[in-house]
Amino acid sequence: MGIGLVEPSDSELVRRVRTGDIGAYGALVARYRDRLGRYAVHMIGDRQDAEEALQDSFVRAYRSLERCNDPARFGAWLYGILVNRCRTTGARAARRRRMFVHDIGALNGAAHPDQTDRVEWSDAVDRALARLAPEYREAFLLKHVDDLEYEQIAAVTGAGISALKMRVKRAREQLQKFLREAEHV
Amino acid sequence: MFEHEDDIVERVIRQLRRPVSIDPGLDARVLHEIASDAAPESAARRPLLRSLPWLAAAAVLAAALVARPWTRGGNGADAFQFVLVAPQAASVSLVGDFNDWDPARSPMKTAQGVWATVVQLTPGRYRYAFLVNGVEWRADPSAPRAMDDEFGTPSSVVTVGGRGT
Amino acid sequence: MMLTALLIVAQVAGQDPRLERLDPETRSLVVAVVDSARAAGLPTEPLVQRALEGATKGAPGTRIIAAVRRLTVDLGVARTALGARASAPELEAAVAALRAGATPQLLTRLRDVRRPPLTMALSVLADLVASGVPADSASAAVLALAPNAHDADLAEFRRAVERDISLGVPPGVAAAVGALNTGPRTDAFNGVTGGQPPARPPRRP
Repeated sequence: MGIGLVEPSDSELVRRVRTGDIGAYGALVARYRDRLGRYAVHMIGDRQDAEEALQDSFVRAYRSLERCNDPARFGAWLYGILVNRCRTTGARAARRRRMFVHDIGALNGAAHPDQTDRVEWSDAVDRALARLAPEYREAFLLKHVDDLEYEQIAAVTGAGISALKMRVKRAREQLQKFLREAEHV
Repeated sequence: MFEHEDDIVERVIRQLRRPVSIDPGLDARVLHEIASDAAPESAARRPLLRSLPWLAAAAVLAAALVARPWTRGGNGADAFQFVLVAPQAASVSLVGDFNDWDPARSPMKTAQGVWATVVQLTPGRYRYAFLVNGVEWRADPSAPRAMDDEFGTPSSVVTVGGRGT
Repeated sequence: MMLTALLIVAQVAGQDPRLERLDPETRSLVVAVVDSARAAGLPTEPLVQRALEGATKGAPGTRIIAAVRRLTVDLGVARTALGARASAPELEAAVAALRAGATPQLLTRLRDVRRPPLTMALSVLADLVASGVPADSASAAVLALAPNAHDADLAEFRRAVERDISLGVPPGVAAAVGALNTGPRTDAFNGVTGGQPPARPPRRP
């Protein structure tokens, strides 16, 4: 009904990039930036490192675009580059860590209780996530936060599907354990 | 009890699925980095070839800026890069306290809609903005905003530090 | 002899040629303000730049004059707070901080605790307020960092606070948390230990 503005598909954008249209790559970056950024932030745990990894991954993806065999699945292919890049990020010696809530409370006695609760829960989740083994965290995030299918996660991580299912299960168990501990502090 | 434990994981998942905002300057940085490359695959058309001389210079510049982000110029001035993504623009100028707000002084160069220029800055706080097509004022989306808006148009701020304490 | 020659040159070149971009009436008023600022020992370059900004943006002469006059007054307040040895960049940054809500007393405290130049510290304060941090929170955070943080650390702190704000952290809390995560850890807050963060080259200018 009428002429709707249909957004170009990933394949269409990739096709245009391959003919030299860098602006089309900008559209792909904008499309995936926040979603992939979310994965990098949770996986790496440090905002600055995550943004650096994200930027690098986008640049690498552009430079190796001819190796993307199926442009319609550009997103999954991009995830593969990012997941690998996040694995090789070393921890910075002075990692930015979220403050423990009692410190925040001490600083800002007038903080609204809702805000404090939200920050407290978010801190607890971040800490619990950071305690997971990297391969568990990776699998858990890709499955439950990024909604990839096990086949896609296998392609992206190189692990077998049953191994991945086990990692996700372990991640869930450990997160429960860490967070119940946190509740009793 | 089992449901309670699952609830915790579901709450975790909800928390982690919350949107994360990424520095909006990232897009421009990515595009600027790749604008120095040639087209990634051979094709019948190669529009970038027409601007090769500029690309070659940009590649050298990009390499220099990536390798050494602080480029010490003469008189204690450092090189700063300003980038604006404006694919529809015909011209973009950088104007600010460092160039007498003169649009002719720092015209920006473009590769495929990514506009950039480099300016030497001595330590100080500078208000600036982009002038698009000679008529439209834009602040820099990836920089702090200037709160003074005495002339009714948006401006941004860049602060160049000294050697520090 | 040389001094006389210089004085003559100064008088003849009393008018900055850049101001020719203004219409004659506005120009003469701006020149008058600039001259009195110079006589008062205030930096004139910020005033010229503000007038040129107005000229480029096509602002009416009355607005340009008002902006230049207001800036002159604020530079005077900044200089009283920071002292006669403050540089022009420091004074400009101080004006931004004052306009953001910092008090002159805070500026004087910063001068007392931090080796010059104060430009980055003052600028970061102003930028934090522009991002939504309440002025008193921004002032407290910058004052806490001022004694020991390098300019690059302060710039990073400002970026970190802006990122947290975009994540939904209340601005005042973001500033307080960011201050604790920046630079050498102080003993003022429990549970935070650690040494100096390693020197990081800034990712982009």
